[in-house]
Amino acid sequence: MASMEKRLQKELTALMKDPPTGVKVDAESIYKNLSEWIVDLDGAPGTLYAGESLQLLFKFGSRYPFDSPQVMFVGPNIPVHPHVYSNGHICLSILTEDWSPALSVQAVCLSIVSMLSSCTEKKRPPDNAFYIKTCSKNPKKTRWWYHDDNV
Amino acid sequence: MSSTTQTPEGAEGGCDVPPNKSETPENEDSTFYECNICLDTAKDAVVSMCGHLFCWPCLHQWLETRPNRKLCPVCKAGIDKDKVIPIYGRGSTDKTDPREKLPPRPPGQRAEPENNGGAFPGFGLGDGGFQMSFGIGAFPFGIFASAFNFNDGRPAPAAPGSPHHTEEQFLSKVFLWVAVLFMFWLLIA
Ligand SMILES: [Zn+2]
Ligand SMILES: [Zn+2]
Repeated sequence: MASMEKRLQKELTALMKDPPTGVKVDAESIYKNLSEWIVDLDGAPGTLYAGESLQLLFKFGSRYPFDSPQVMFVGPNIPVHPHVYSNGHICLSILTEDWSPALSVQAVCLSIVSMLSSCTEKKRPPDNAFYIKTCSKNPKKTRWWYHDDNV
Repeated sequence: MSSTTQTPEGAEGGCDVPPNKSETPENEDSTFYECNICLDTAKDAVVSMCGHLFCWPCLHQWLETRPNRKLCPVCKAGIDKDKVIPIYGRGSTDKTDPREKLPPRPPGQRAEPENNGGAFPGFGLGDGGFQMSFGIGAFPFGIFASAFNFNDGRPAPAAPGSPHHTEEQFLSKVFLWVAVLFMFWLLIA
């Protein structure tokens, strides 16, 4: 839909013009397909993920920004974190029930960086082994249970 | 907008009107009036009680997306159709009634009397619940309609008693039962 593309175009322009530290987008590849973005993230200095390079995949449906994008970690380095499953799925409420159309790629990236930064112990979620065997490919299909918000 | 700019020709009256519009490219000033949803300059603008600006079509679509959880996209304050204020700028197209547009923009507070005796009596209360049940109910009703209109749609309806007629009656009964079963399934699901 046109409104979705127009908005993504605006977000891309803003991200290129004024990228937040540690967030990089490859505009070339995004221009080819506006509905799938790869975003490079750097683990914030002074945190458990300092020096790690991470990759997020965003997939946008035609109802973006009214529907949240699909967001997951991809690539060789899936960060070890109590809310990140080893298949890249992220348990973060703004990606499903707390999504708002005023959020953006940039806001999601910053939320994820902050989620990583506040982590005190690198470990997988306790149900990781079970989840990755049973889950859908689309993390939005998971009925997430946001039990602890303080990690 | 610098106040020291001298305009010899004198833009009459306006003391902080920029002398030349083309000299002010898109900057922080223009983002101030952007819709918080489409990030474009707000069209048919409305402002929420919490002070956040949206295009009415954008906000309307968001309220429809989550009819039972109406929150301001920016600050998560409660937000509703009756609680947003339309903004009419001087240069706006004020000749057309914004309410005639689809989706209709809610009217200004002053134009509306207390007892809301406006265009849609009965629709003001329980907006959320109504829309929810309607969204679920619409589909089986559509099936009902097609079941009842089954005969009408044909150019040459078969004469009563003929095998063709009974077959059609049988088919419409089947459709009816499917619709009933579907509704039942919806109720228990
Ligand atoms: Zn808008
Ligand atoms: Zn607000």
